[in-house]
Amino acid sequence: MNLLHECAKSITRRHFFGKLGMGVGAIALDQLLNDRARADEPGDANPLAPKKPHFAPKAKSIIYLHMAGSPSQLDLFDYKPKLVEHNGQKCPDEFLKGKRFAFIKGVPNMLGTPFKFSQQGPSGAWLSEVWKHLPEVLGDVAIVKSMNTEQFNHAPAQLFLHTGTQLLGGASMGAWATYGLGSENQNLPGFVVLTSGGKTPDAGVSVWGGGFLPSVYQGVQCRTDGDPVLFLSNPKGMSREGRRDTLDVLKKLNDMQEHEIGDPETVTRISQYELAFRMQMSVPDAMDITKEPQNILDLYGAKPGYVSDLHKAGDVRTSYKGDDPTFANNCLLARRLVERGVRFVQLYDWGWDHHGVSPGEHIPTILPIKVQQIDRAFSGLIKDLKQRGLLDSTLIVWGGEFGRTPMQQNNNPSANFIGRDHHPFAFSMMMAGGGIKGGQVYGETDELGYYITENPVSIRDLQALILTQIGLDPFKLIYPYQGLEQRLIGVEGKAKVPMKLIK
Amino acid sequence: MKQLTLTMAAVCSFAAIGAFASDAPINFNRDIRPILTENCFKCHGFDKAARKGGLRLDDRDAAMLPAKSEKRAIVPGKLDESELVRRITTTVEEDHMPPTESGKKLKPEQIATLKRWIAEGAPFSKHWSFEKPVKAPLPAVTTSGWTKNEIDFFVLQKIESEKINPSPEANKFTLARRAALDLTGLPPSPDSLKSFINDPSPNAFEKYVDTLLASPAYGERWARVWLDLARFADTKGYEKDLRRTIWPWRDWVINAFNVDMPYDRFTREQLAGDLLEKPTPDQLVATGFHRNTMTNEEGGVDHEEFRMHSVRDRVDTTVQVWMGLSMGCAKCHTHKYDPITINDYYSFYAFFNQTEDANRGDEQPTLATPSRNEAERIATLDASIASAELKLKDSTPEIEAALPAWENEIKQHLGWQTIRPKSLKAVSGSVMEQQNDGSILVKSKGQNGGPPTEKYTLTFDAPQLDLTGLRIEALPDASHPKGGVGRSKDDGNFVLTGIKLSVKSADGKDEEIPFSKAVADFSQHDYPIEHVLKNPDSKKHGWAVSPKLTEPHIAVFSLAAPLKLVQGKELTLTLDHSFEFSFPGFSMGKFRIALTSDAVPGLSPSVPDAITKIVAVAPEARNAEQKLTLLNHFTSVCPQHKAVRDEIAKLKGERTAVKPVATPILRELSEKKRRVTKVLNRGNFLDQTEAVEAAVPSSLHAWPEGLPKNRLGLAQWICSPENPLTARVAVNRVWAQMFGAGIVETLEDFGSQGAPVSHPELLDWLAVDFMENGWSFKKLVKKIALSASYRQSARATPELAKRDRFNRLLARGPRFRMEAEMLRDQALAVSGLLSSKMFGPSVMPYQPPGLWKSTYSNDDWATSPGEDRYRRGLYTFIKRTTPYPEAILFDATSRETCTLRRPRTNTPLQALITLNDPVFVECAQALARKMALKGGEKLEGQVAFGLREALLREPRTEEISELVKLYERRIEEGKADKTAMEKLATDPLGPLPAGMDPAHAAALTAVANVILNLDEFVTK
Repeated sequence: MNLLHECAKSITRRHFFGKLGMGVGAIALDQLLNDRARADEPGDANPLAPKKPHFAPKAKSIIYLHMAGSPSQLDLFDYKPKLVEHNGQKCPDEFLKGKRFAFIKGVPNMLGTPFKFSQQGPSGAWLSEVWKHLPEVLGDVAIVKSMNTEQFNHAPAQLFLHTGTQLLGGASMGAWATYGLGSENQNLPGFVVLTSGGKTPDAGVSVWGGGFLPSVYQGVQCRTDGDPVLFLSNPKGMSREGRRDTLDVLKKLNDMQEHEIGDPETVTRISQYELAFRMQMSVPDAMDITKEPQNILDLYGAKPGYVSDLHKAGDVRTSYKGDDPTFANNCLLARRLVERGVRFVQLYDWGWDHHGVSPGEHIPTILPIKVQQIDRAFSGLIKDLKQRGLLDSTLIVWGGEFGRTPMQQNNNPSANFIGRDHHPFAFSMMMAGGGIKGGQVYGETDELGYYITENPVSIRDLQALILTQIGLDPFKLIYPYQGLEQRLIGVEGKAKVPMKLIK
Repeated sequence: MKQLTLTMAAVCSFAAIGAFASDAPINFNRDIRPILTENCFKCHGFDKAARKGGLRLDDRDAAMLPAKSEKRAIVPGKLDESELVRRITTTVEEDHMPPTESGKKLKPEQIATLKRWIAEGAPFSKHWSFEKPVKAPLPAVTTSGWTKNEIDFFVLQKIESEKINPSPEANKFTLARRAALDLTGLPPSPDSLKSFINDPSPNAFEKYVDTLLASPAYGERWARVWLDLARFADTKGYEKDLRRTIWPWRDWVINAFNVDMPYDRFTREQLAGDLLEKPTPDQLVATGFHRNTMTNEEGGVDHEEFRMHSVRDRVDTTVQVWMGLSMGCAKCHTHKYDPITINDYYSFYAFFNQTEDANRGDEQPTLATPSRNEAERIATLDASIASAELKLKDSTPEIEAALPAWENEIKQHLGWQTIRPKSLKAVSGSVMEQQNDGSILVKSKGQNGGPPTEKYTLTFDAPQLDLTGLRIEALPDASHPKGGVGRSKDDGNFVLTGIKLSVKSADGKDEEIPFSKAVADFSQHDYPIEHVLKNPDSKKHGWAVSPKLTEPHIAVFSLAAPLKLVQGKELTLTLDHSFEFSFPGFSMGKFRIALTSDAVPGLSPSVPDAITKIVAVAPEARNAEQKLTLLNHFTSVCPQHKAVRDEIAKLKGERTAVKPVATPILRELSEKKRRVTKVLNRGNFLDQTEAVEAAVPSSLHAWPEGLPKNRLGLAQWICSPENPLTARVAVNRVWAQMFGAGIVETLEDFGSQGAPVSHPELLDWLAVDFMENGWSFKKLVKKIALSASYRQSARATPELAKRDRFNRLLARGPRFRMEAEMLRDQALAVSGLLSSKMFGPSVMPYQPPGLWKSTYSNDDWATSPGEDRYRRGLYTFIKRTTPYPEAILFDATSRETCTLRRPRTNTPLQALITLNDPVFVECAQALARKMALKGGEKLEGQVAFGLREALLREPRTEEISELVKLYERRIEEGKADKTAMEKLATDPLGPLPAGMDPAHAAALTAVANVILNLDEFVTK
């Protein structure tokens, strides 16, 4: 009987350390120990100053491309001839019994994909015909077909994925990353969010919130019309010289105050005003894609200055156009930002929730349009990062918050639209760069694509993988709150890094 | 088990005992508990399931017992027999505690402390916050003449023990500003400031504080703090995040603080106002506290799941707000650090599990809270309707003359016979009830309506009749969604997709009776009555009646030729509702069936049975009562009274148009409908295990005999003088508002994981005093404000700033950046823009366009007109998924869950707000105009005026000269671009007062922009 081992028995943790090929002793232990909480005392000069990772990182930055609403894996990646064969037949009872669905009622019919599939790239991955550009970069991409989650409604599932809890109030992945590592560029926010698709994701700004972490770590949404960061522009009629002049005077007066009262917080405040002034220059500069040459713009399909004409009323999805460059522009911006040392760039593209109950949710017509909006941009981003030598240090993750059912959603009240309901049991994601072993398909599902049969990857596992790639120990990255040691992977810490995905 | 070897490390640490700084005996809670909590309790604490090696260290008796290894971790007084000592000192990695993988490591001095504790006999005591507070005698101090009230003795003792000096009192201006901001959230009014400054009397400050406490702004300032705890917002949260109207509750809170409602009553009314005897409307509104939980209206959610989330939020919030404990982790597993089991959690949950609300989109139950005008209007209309209804009974010879003709008309349709089924069945299992008037009422689940599809089967005995038609009357009923005729979720429609009437033939077979024609008084566009008989696709078509969902409707189905029914033959009628839609429930909610032999079955409504019967009696044979009944019925429907009926309809329309705000409240389920509370395994709502009764955790103070086991009893238990936590937590929160940090810094955690208490005896003294003073917040605030501790200058010597950066010793006055709302309010107040309007719906000051992009809502921010855009920050509309940027960037919360302590960050994004947010630019422009108009002729005077207005003190000459130089440079540069100067002076505030030079106003705006960004201005 050994007290130590009794207490330390944690299979998942063992797994984690073991597979990383470093015994407990090999880790910079002092650093782990000193890193109980990375909470900065209020008033510390710069909570975003770069911090040492837990161990040597594979990636320095992350670009997370979230397809809000959740694309259909069965029409994009997970090819199921059997499903096509059984198209239109009643779904076997075993798949329905005891299951909860968001909208499906009674016994639905199986839905085979309306698209043709073929094998592509070095791994011979099956890809849907809707992908025109993705095959060009498959050598760098790992397709994970065995993702699964615990939530089957949008807002809770997005929150669970990005903040580790399905309830509001958790800290998002980007916030954890900047809390853990700080930012490499002090003239830009460390965690930037860009959106497209005409709507914010279902769970709102909470998916990039700081939650219980200090607000300095929350995502900063950069916008492509108006001020790229809220209130970045000087008041109308005040020039940059005028602003410099006022800030110089402000500093002089604040120095007097500091001399008088001796509050270190005043010194911090002076430096934050200077940082704000620098951001006024550096943010618009980073956000200005007109500076990119035409061949780079073409690589992504980007169009500088494009203003979305999605009408506000009704369903924006009915006015989507395949050549809408908003997502492409955001991908190009993401590259410009990581190039400048931004830690975490989060893109949200809304409009992937294809239930088939209205024209904007009809898979045969809308899915190809959505893919067209992102396909070239995604492959362009990978090619561009690669040619700049940034792909190895930038982890790219692409996917939705859950998958879609092999069955056709059957509560369609009016016309004949085809779509699928929410499916948490199996779905696909893509990863590239940042130490990910590309050119592979990971995980497998059953012949109908309903359940995972091989190498399941949970949301916890994904979160653990992402933190690990940037050099943070997902089990050690904690923040004390509400009597618990909060972690992105959850207080229970049931996560394991899928090692075969890592180089 | 490895061999025991006493290592060098252990020997070395042993020697360290001699180096222990203090000679005072070990205090378990101060010296030992934090070490055990941080390093040991996770595996050797209260949670049995998580316990390793059979060792428990949080309880003295248990800790003395042999562990699984049969070794005793602690043998009092005997270091070499105590296994704990060996384990924390060994170098054998497998044996070492805490284990390497835990990431925890004891410091040499911690090891020494633990050893000394065991050497001294290992005394334990309960965690300090679970012991009742008592007023300790005031400690002796040596500095004379500094203390002003009891608080100061405790503070001074600590300062003296650290061998430093307290700070002198701040000057009157600083004090005036500090107290006004702390007590009212606003700078003082010029009058109250002036009278304080000019008052030489020794109690001048007390008089000033009394003025502040009496100001209505006091209630607004302290309500703001409470709103964070209550997670008050103007939307429901989650995906749709639609609007919610619950501001009457917010106004209740403001009033409660202003009348200084005692905290125990404040607690009772909010947690259980509905359970008080004959609750007043105000007491019901107060229960809105726990209706601030979120509602998830995303399509496809399980409403029960989110109802449970709300109940858990109520549990967590109640325990955190009142008792400073985090019970949240016990919802999934037994608490690792504090003595709360998962069963304790769900027993506590049972108190809150009996309210009617259930994640409903319509927020029921609600309470109509009419304003005074609305109440008067309602009374007037009700009286008018009553008197008009009396007029309906008036008869005239003319009316009486018309009666026989009407009777004839009625007689022609007497052929309609209401049938009373002998059996009723809904395929979904819904309950169907036959009413006295022959109608059939189907039970729905409130606004959630009926099942996705539905089919009703009615059997009845045939009357003797030559059947020509069947009539269905669809009737509205209050029990259905929106009081409609049908059961569709949230709107009350139905879609009748098919009808089948059959008669049992001689051989027992059902023979269908075919209908040839269908007519209805009204059909919804694209849902015609004809579809019932000939339906192209019953999943998509049928008869529906939107938008006339709250009126009765009639459908009549006729036969091609009369069919002779034989009395007593069994007839079966099925009403099919196969329509499918993205939301469920499209079935009829209340209906009445009748058969006729009329040659032409007409669309006439049914006449009450009583009237039918009277009409059947020959006029001369009717008795007086029958005559009167008939006449009264006729006067109510006769053409002659059409004008009166129109009048009544109009009045009723006006009456329904008066829609007093309906604010969500708590209401207990009726006895019959009580829920059984079950423990949810790992918090999973689908995994319910054993049933539990409402109870409080046994490790907390006892439940007094005789208290009802409901929320009211719970509220009384919370405010019982036996509760060691409630008063401490409350006074600590007030202290934190005024000093920037609590005496217990973790306002949210008084448990064993919380921060240590910096002045334990002071906290207890204040807690007891608070209760002795009838739980009065105003007395508490006044006591703190009048203390010498609070009145100290905030000036810190470099040495003190270094030694006690966060002012935990209180050797200087409080100084910290003010909260989001206060910062904005102050800028508006100083610039003269602030509106003093109180109460009412939340308002929308300027925010950049395009921020609201909720997924399934086209709701948008619409900047409020007039003074509403300059209201205090606590009235700003809070959309949970997209909060107001200024507030959120200055650390306010999105009010999704209870927040006890806002962090205080210092970021560049905050600088951008106070520099560039049009709200602050407007303030700078307004202040500039004030400076120009009221600061005298000279520029220096105008600049000094601005500084004085903002900082409430005499400016230094260097400050004035720097700003004057800025002004001159701005004027010089502005000569090149007059338009820019014009904009700087007027955009967005608007045109300048007549005669004001734009260049002058613009340069002063730049000056004011600096003033409103001074560290001194954003700090209180």
